[in-house]
Amino acid sequence: MNCAECRDDLVACIEGLLGDEESLQCQAHIETCAACRAEYAAIANLQQKLVAHGQVAADVSIVEPVMRRVLHKQTEQKRNTIMSKLFTRWGLGLSAAGAAAIILIVVLALPRTQATAAEVMAKGAQAVAKLTSIHLSGRVRTGPAENFGYPNPESDFVTIEFWKQFEPDLKWRVEKPGRVAVMDGQSTVLYIKPTNMGMKVPHPSRSAFDTDWLHKIANLSNTISNELNNAQAKGWKMGITEETAATGRVKSVVTIEAESDLPDSDYLKNKQFDYSDTRRVYRFDAQTKMLEAVQIYLTRDSGDVLIFEVDQIDYNQPIDPAVFRLELPANVSWYQEPQKLTDNEKYAAMTAQQAARALFEACGREDWTEAAKFFPMPVPEGLKQFLGGCQLVSLGEPFTSQGAGPSDQFVPYEIRLKNGELHKLNIHLRKDKQTGRWIWEGGI
Amino acid sequence: MDLTDKEYVQRCQDGHPEDFRLLVHRYQGPLFSYLTGRLGNRSQAEEAAQESFVRAFQSLKKLRKPESFYSWLLGIAGRVALEQFRSLKRRQQDREVAETMMADAGDNQPEYLLDETIALLPETYRQVILLRYYEGLSCPEVAQRLDMPLGTVTKTLSRAYALLRQELQVSGSVDRTINQMEHP
Repeated sequence: MNCAECRDDLVACIEGLLGDEESLQCQAHIETCAACRAEYAAIANLQQKLVAHGQVAADVSIVEPVMRRVLHKQTEQKRNTIMSKLFTRWGLGLSAAGAAAIILIVVLALPRTQATAAEVMAKGAQAVAKLTSIHLSGRVRTGPAENFGYPNPESDFVTIEFWKQFEPDLKWRVEKPGRVAVMDGQSTVLYIKPTNMGMKVPHPSRSAFDTDWLHKIANLSNTISNELNNAQAKGWKMGITEETAATGRVKSVVTIEAESDLPDSDYLKNKQFDYSDTRRVYRFDAQTKMLEAVQIYLTRDSGDVLIFEVDQIDYNQPIDPAVFRLELPANVSWYQEPQKLTDNEKYAAMTAQQAARALFEACGREDWTEAAKFFPMPVPEGLKQFLGGCQLVSLGEPFTSQGAGPSDQFVPYEIRLKNGELHKLNIHLRKDKQTGRWIWEGGI
Repeated sequence: MDLTDKEYVQRCQDGHPEDFRLLVHRYQGPLFSYLTGRLGNRSQAEEAAQESFVRAFQSLKKLRKPESFYSWLLGIAGRVALEQFRSLKRRQQDREVAETMMADAGDNQPEYLLDETIALLPETYRQVILLRYYEGLSCPEVAQRLDMPLGTVTKTLSRAYALLRQELQVSGSVDRTINQMEHP
């Protein structure tokens, strides 16, 4: 084989596409010819880079979110065009006086409604500007023990309560049936009930454990002001109606239709809904001007879905000190910083998907020593009972969540539990900075 | 058989926005790789990639050379990446992240040059590179997808490699790597 023949076959040779004899001839030539060897090395080097680039992009799947946004904008443009044509047609088809009258009605009626809704919101913000405490009670679609920051329209409702004492010193508690977070003025603790796991931050935190959006809401005066500002800045549609409760009290009901691409100050920003439209309904008491209830609907073609609701708000009521005391069992598995393992490199080299597979397979074998390498604590008994003997059915492509740190990945999984039931969710893994290992954060 | 970029762009311009899906599918991988190189952060890269596609769609009617869709898209993505840097720098709480990103992006600079160079390839060569490396197809699978003989695929790859190396040698990145390999 000469150099020209070798160069012709080089890519096929590297790709393993040559027959045995041709491959041997090509390799023999490369061994004896420095120029072709250099060419081979250059192509192999470029290939390595291309493979690495391809692998970086292997998990990415943004077609659907992009198309949702693109089609949404397309619909918006069409709507604006239709409105513009409508006005043009009126202008051409009616007498000048008639057209002016219609336009006057539209111009007067629309801002009037918006102004009234804005007025109710502004007075509502003013009415709750100085709070000493607040207690919110409602329901949210999510798992009972799921992360506080993970509302999910596919889940059933669970109850959620939030207490916040602003004075004399800041304390708060957020609770769902399977998860509670408490800041008692000294430290901040998260406790996950079904798995008997806890995490303690040895100082008071204004917000922690993904409760930030609830804190934003609880800071009601700011929430209402921000909502009004965002609606006006973004041109979101605002509406107002009145209703009379069974008690005879009149309620002002403000509806805001928030569009996707939420501004940073929005309390639903980074809560999986950035690319969806939401309808927010605020009920104010017409007399006291105070907010009494909130409902958030996800706008979908198939019909709006209620995802979060606050149906009771207590203002400035003294909160029982016991609310901020967390009584925990003695055998809680407390979060610890992951330590480097003797074979740490093996685990640090894993992708999030590989780590999820290794974790579930270890649980399936009930090999808790192995499983513990993916947990920031000894594997809690609750999880052992739940995951022991499970069988991995499938793993999906990992994804990241907007607003989550760069090292956070969510891997969709389906497992068959020992009792035969199928369990499907997204496991949240975080790449630990110190050890480089993927460590479980939630989603079981 | 797949349509060319030019055909897809023209269909979108002619009132078939759904066809944009096929362009997103075709370029999501290389665009994400490019932005990861620029931003050094997968989460930010994914956000920037989405934003770049949306902006590209909104400006699609202004695209004079539909056959240059991908290099035009990379131009948009470059501006989006720059905006993200600036935005992160502005946000006090993310200062540390921004600094990390800037440092990472500096380290990775030669890497995203490869993505930029791929964008400059004639479409025939780019298509084979994208299918082989970003969709992970083998050469026989590429041949089947493009309805071309296997020999043509390897020859196209060979020519694409040569063009890529030629372009990259301008920046010196491949030379440096080869020198390091030959003279460790």
